[in-house]
Amino acid sequence: MISIKITGTIINYYIHCKRQCWLFGNRINLEDNSEDVRIGKILHEIKSQESKSSEISIDNIKIDKITGEYLVELKKSDADLNSTKWQVLLYLKKLKEKGIIRKGKIEVIEKKKQDKKIHYVELTQEYEEELDKLLLDIEKFLSSEKPPIAERSSKCKKCAYYEYCNI
Amino acid sequence: MVFVISKTKYITSMGELKRKDNSIVFRNEKGNTYIPIEGIREIVCLNEIKINTKFLDYISRFGVVLHFFNYYGQYSGTFYPKENLISGKIKVKQVQAYLDENKRLNICKSIVNGIAINIHETLYHYYKHGNKDIKDILDWLRKEVPILLEKEINIKRILFIEGLVWQRFYSIFNKILKEEFVFNKRVKRPPDNPLNALISFGNSVIYSKTITQIYGTHLDQSISYLHEPSEGRFSLSLDISEVFKPVIVFKTIFDCVNNRKIQVDKHFNKKLNYCLLNDEGRNIFITELEKRLNSVFVHKGLNRKTTYLNAIKLDGYKLIKYLVEDKKFVPFSLKEMY
Ligand code: SF4
Repeated sequence: MISIKITGTIINYYIHCKRQCWLFGNRINLEDNSEDVRIGKILHEIKSQESKSSEISIDNIKIDKITGEYLVELKKSDADLNSTKWQVLLYLKKLKEKGIIRKGKIEVIEKKKQDKKIHYVELTQEYEEELDKLLLDIEKFLSSEKPPIAERSSKCKKCAYYEYCNI
Repeated sequence: MVFVISKTKYITSMGELKRKDNSIVFRNEKGNTYIPIEGIREIVCLNEIKINTKFLDYISRFGVVLHFFNYYGQYSGTFYPKENLISGKIKVKQVQAYLDENKRLNICKSIVNGIAINIHETLYHYYKHGNKDIKDILDWLRKEVPILLEKEINIKRILFIEGLVWQRFYSIFNKILKEEFVFNKRVKRPPDNPLNALISFGNSVIYSKTITQIYGTHLDQSISYLHEPSEGRFSLSLDISEVFKPVIVFKTIFDCVNNRKIQVDKHFNKKLNYCLLNDEGRNIFITELEKRLNSVFVHKGLNRKTTYLNAIKLDGYKLIKYLVEDKKFVPFSLKEMY
């Protein structure tokens, strides 16, 4: 059984960038620097006060949308689809533990493009076993004393840790 | 390129701050001024302001910090929103570093060395423009101070060196400032001459700015290294703001004084023996401080443009990195632009 509450974000980061995962998992989640993000957050807060948000929250995971057959995860781009896949698998597992069986559907709504791309993923026996192993790995990884050093790459440019990693 | 620009609202007249629907309103006898909440990060109250808990609750939800200054332009306190970024790990590491003599000394030495470097850079400008009188202090700052700090010394000794650095800095003011501002000694509370009034006010502003910047990190403001944690609730901001004083406060003062933007007979309160900025003087000084804080430079580490204001927060990050990852703490250097 998993003792630390590993969230979809943590699993996503673990696959995306280990350092990001360690920092986030150890709650060194620095403020995003851009004013756009801050203003966006504030506007979101104001709006969600006015109308209840459609986001569903179960335990410590936030789900975008759930239908009779699918759990739907919305993404802005299909870069790093792999990490989103594992994020969705974790949600499916959490739902299953609550007796809710669903399939996963990832909807990529890219800017400027009309059509959305859809990817499906199912929580098979194999995936479930792999996921259990992954969660154990992450748990062990997060309890290590220091984060791994930064591996600079193009993904750093948009990362909220950019300043922290480069200082 | 987007970066944090200073989102500070200074309130200089008497009045009341209120929440009205989804905005902040400042009300005085002249009427209402609306301040959109998404446009601000901190509010600095420089006059008597009435507030209520509904207002405090509202700004707290958006992480807006509220600073209060007294009549003499001295910092009196901060309303600190309930923290949204809490990291037990960093807090533990902060305390550990305070208790670990070696770590604490390393941080303190870096800060004092940083002050010396930044004073040197600030003064070097005057040397370059023909002021040869200050060569001695320049050499001392550049060569001697690092040697003094390299030795195996305790915290008391480091504080002594810090005192010396500031003292020698003040001692050459008469060589670089317009005569009407020449001063003989630094008196803090209350300031006893125009120059001291500028220094006190400037230091208070940079201190409150640092509190707001550190709020954006996980650092616990009460655990500090150079200043004793017992000195005050936000003693870490005292530590972090130290190297920015030459860069922001003193550069602004030198500019305002030597370019006659601020003048003794025009911008100080005569009734109080010119020991206090008047409204106009204060507004000019704040505007100039803000301009400097928000000016942009290319940061060596980031390879990106950023502001001096953001550099304060980056120093918070550097400290976290020292605490968590053992990366040497080197505060902002005006020489390296890092
Ligand atoms: S900046 Fe780069 S190395 Fe650092 S956490 Fe982000 S992606 Fe990882």
